[in-house]
Amino acid sequence: MQFWTSMGIEINQEIIDIILLTMKLGIVSTFISALLGVPFGMFLERVDFFGKKVIIRINRTLMGFPPVVAGLAVYLLLMRRGPLGRWELLFTFPAMVIVQTLIIAPIISGMVYTSCKNMAPQIRNFAISMGADRWQTFLLVIKELKNDIYFILITGFGRSISEVGAVMIVGGNIKYKTRTMTTAISLMRNKGDFGEAITLGFVLLIISFIIQCFVDFLRRYEENVENN
Amino acid sequence: MLKIIKLEKKIGDFQLNVKDLSLEEKTIHGIIGNNGSGKSTLIKLMTGLLKPDTGVMDFGTLTKRDIVITAPRPYMLHDTVYNNLTYPLKIRKQVIKKETIMEWIDRCGLSGKEKQYAPSLSSGERQKLSLARALIFEPEVIFIDETMANMDPDSVVLFEQIIFDIQSKKPATWIIVSHQLTHIYKLCQCIHFMDAGSILASGTPDEILLHTDNPVIRQYLSKYTIGN
Repeated sequence: MQFWTSMGIEINQEIIDIILLTMKLGIVSTFISALLGVPFGMFLERVDFFGKKVIIRINRTLMGFPPVVAGLAVYLLLMRRGPLGRWELLFTFPAMVIVQTLIIAPIISGMVYTSCKNMAPQIRNFAISMGADRWQTFLLVIKELKNDIYFILITGFGRSISEVGAVMIVGGNIKYKTRTMTTAISLMRNKGDFGEAITLGFVLLIISFIIQCFVDFLRRYEENVENN
Repeated sequence: MLKIIKLEKKIGDFQLNVKDLSLEEKTIHGIIGNNGSGKSTLIKLMTGLLKPDTGVMDFGTLTKRDIVITAPRPYMLHDTVYNNLTYPLKIRKQVIKKETIMEWIDRCGLSGKEKQYAPSLSSGERQKLSLARALIFEPEVIFIDETMANMDPDSVVLFEQIIFDIQSKKPATWIIVSHQLTHIYKLCQCIHFMDAGSILASGTPDEILLHTDNPVIRQYLSKYTIGN
């Protein structure tokens, strides 16, 4: 412990709570975004309908949705006088999940759409040529694209834990309630509390490193299987 | 008898128009013709990979499960050679016997490669695997769309032997598209020549390949040699 302290790193209950909340927010937001984004991306690739090109363009625009703007939009919706004000969600964990889902879901659906556009037609043709029914064809598309989908979800999670502007606006950075690693770092820097800021920055880097290791592991696993 | 009546399909400037085609069952049919004459389009329409604009296809009591098609560039599942072979059995809920799978692996010249990642196979090996995968569940109708194009001569002979074996034990209906006229001449009992989206002539291999008076077919044949 003395070693970490001498390095300027402080670990206390507050820091642990912040880390846990950030992870929980990342997991929940990515999970909900995946539930919305993966089927929507597949739907966009599979079904032709009037206005599809416009929807794809809007989705691509939302992929680069500035988080602060997303935060502001959700804030205006959830504020006391806003259309959803009576739900009293502002400055709560669900509000942070909503804003993160708004940011991550378009990224997931856009990436899934691109991946499906490249691969799904040949997988479907193969399944049909083998005599598979609709459900079996759908399952095969999912199975064949599973590695792409893993990478996309990890990208979404990475985006979630590194996001600061939007969660700051709708979460309010309330201690033990809505304070995440990024918002805490921002606050601690303002207070001049660099020890805790360094600790959280360090933990954030470790998490990013672990995610990168996991992505590399998946890639290497695929390459090993390919070269066997 | 597989019957096709007034089948039409327009793709860009190309128009396929097959007025009347009857394919006798348990027989090996060959479809030949220049590039762009509509051979692959006809096969895709017959197997349901493309939807016709108009026309009737009467396959009697046969269902999608009885029909299989192999493509010129076959899709390989992101899995082992062994698991690629089990796929058609799995979707038909047929019993997977390891001995049968291994027998097909040996039979198509892929011995020792059962654990290899299928997409890493050479193009010739992929074609062998795709043929084995198409034949393993004993289909009633088999469409082969230039699948032997990248095989070495020994492998072509090997597959000719496999086809003859199948026809002597449990005959199936084969529709083979190929530019390898020697191979077509040896295998097929009936040949259909396509030109500009229509069936120009149908007949025995001798009638179409050796004694035709049709100038279009003669010009096509002048580009190829029919050897032993």
